[in-house]
Amino acid sequence: MQLKKFASLGGALAAATCGLLGSQPSVASAAGEEAGWQSDTSLLYYGESDSRVTDVSLRTALRRAWDDGSKLSGSLTLDSLTGASPTGAVPTDSVQTFTRPSGKGQYTIGSNEQPLDDTFKDTRIALTANWDQPLGDAMRYGVGLTFSTEYDYRHMGANGRFEHDFNQRNTTLQVGMAYARDSIDPVGGAPIGLHPMKGQGDSSSKLGNDSKSVIDLLIGVTQVVSRRSLLDLSYTYSRAGGYLNDPYKLLTVVDNTGRPVGVDPYLYESRPDARAKHGLFSEWRYAFDEDSLALSYRYMFDDWGIKSHTLEGRYRWNFDERTYLEPHLRYYMQSAADFYRTYLESGATLPVNASSDYRLADLDAWTAGIKFAHKTSLGEFSARLEYYRQTANPQPGGVGLLNTYDLVPPLTAIIGQIGYRLNF
Amino acid sequence: MMIRTALRLAGILVTSVTLSACSGLGVKPWERDLHAREDMQPNGMDMAIDDHIYFSKEASSGGRSFAGGGCGCN
Repeated sequence: MQLKKFASLGGALAAATCGLLGSQPSVASAAGEEAGWQSDTSLLYYGESDSRVTDVSLRTALRRAWDDGSKLSGSLTLDSLTGASPTGAVPTDSVQTFTRPSGKGQYTIGSNEQPLDDTFKDTRIALTANWDQPLGDAMRYGVGLTFSTEYDYRHMGANGRFEHDFNQRNTTLQVGMAYARDSIDPVGGAPIGLHPMKGQGDSSSKLGNDSKSVIDLLIGVTQVVSRRSLLDLSYTYSRAGGYLNDPYKLLTVVDNTGRPVGVDPYLYESRPDARAKHGLFSEWRYAFDEDSLALSYRYMFDDWGIKSHTLEGRYRWNFDERTYLEPHLRYYMQSAADFYRTYLESGATLPVNASSDYRLADLDAWTAGIKFAHKTSLGEFSARLEYYRQTANPQPGGVGLLNTYDLVPPLTAIIGQIGYRLNF
Repeated sequence: MMIRTALRLAGILVTSVTLSACSGLGVKPWERDLHAREDMQPNGMDMAIDDHIYFSKEASSGGRSFAGGGCGCN
């Protein structure tokens, strides 16, 4: 405890000295940015129940900061994904046969089982690089590049940020822009929306590769409220255009008994080729004498009809200067996209767009977790364990047999992470 | 519906209180000791990992920063 008091006093003295020298840390670039190198590495395990998706991910970030406030940083992420993912088709009371996305094989799903594609396997490599540079005492800019590649997807992006401090550096305004160009090269080709899944060797419902572009804009304010608290507020706008379908998702066309109908009862999903999202984000951070608290709220809406609310809280319980425990709670809810359909009914007019992707459904999700970290002379070691549970609702009104199934089963995942951070 | 309405109201309240009160707020340079503490800074590593997970499981993403992405994410 005594150590901690000295540390706080040291911080206060440092801040005061910086103030006298005219280089006090601003709101946005305060502590944790001392000159020198920092490496931060995490190994993540993400595992869904019922043999669905498993991701093992290694992420390492390296940062070099200089006394003048300039900073070079970069990260490398390796993801290894395996498991099974829902196809979007509905269960039925007989065996269902699906063509593999490659068009070179088939798989069957037992009666009364949720159709999952078990060929899901991918390795992803992602890289980021950023440069941050002060512009005089009260301004900074940053530029960055992002790149990622996986078997059927490649992302390239660039971003820029500008910050300006006002009001004795108690207020920081931030504006930013990002542009991404992604190419999509699905296994077997990119399906044409609402065209039927064909049998082996028939690629008449598929085209070659495709692409999408995304522009993100951000405007944010960070405001020091008092010696103990500060508030972050930001507005983000994101516009995506191009091929926005999930190339592996299907919809079942059912008859009035709820069973798949016709020779080709499975259609590839179709989403609009543009999407505009708006986000409002606020976070309040509060410092107690020893501990700290961060509470955030996010509201998002888009022109696909999705509205979402996210509430999140973290309490950092600092046992001493070197050890802390951090409980974390998150609640998320979203409304369904206008074109979300759990299935399609034969005889009805085919909609312009339809997707049965559960991520576009009306859903709620909870995350509860805890993190433990301990600093030693060799660096900071941390471990985090989280539990995620998502429950989604199918479209209202069921048809025949479909009333007897849980068409969008809950998703449960365990997230485990170990980390190591070193300043040198 | 009650929860949705309450959440929306909470958001509007936080936003409006903040916007109307910004100009008179703040501290002197020597009062920044608590803000300078390492635990008052967002943890970039955890945030990036969480953003990537939620990006691939929910329809909304970003907010704190850019919307992220750059993956097929099935």
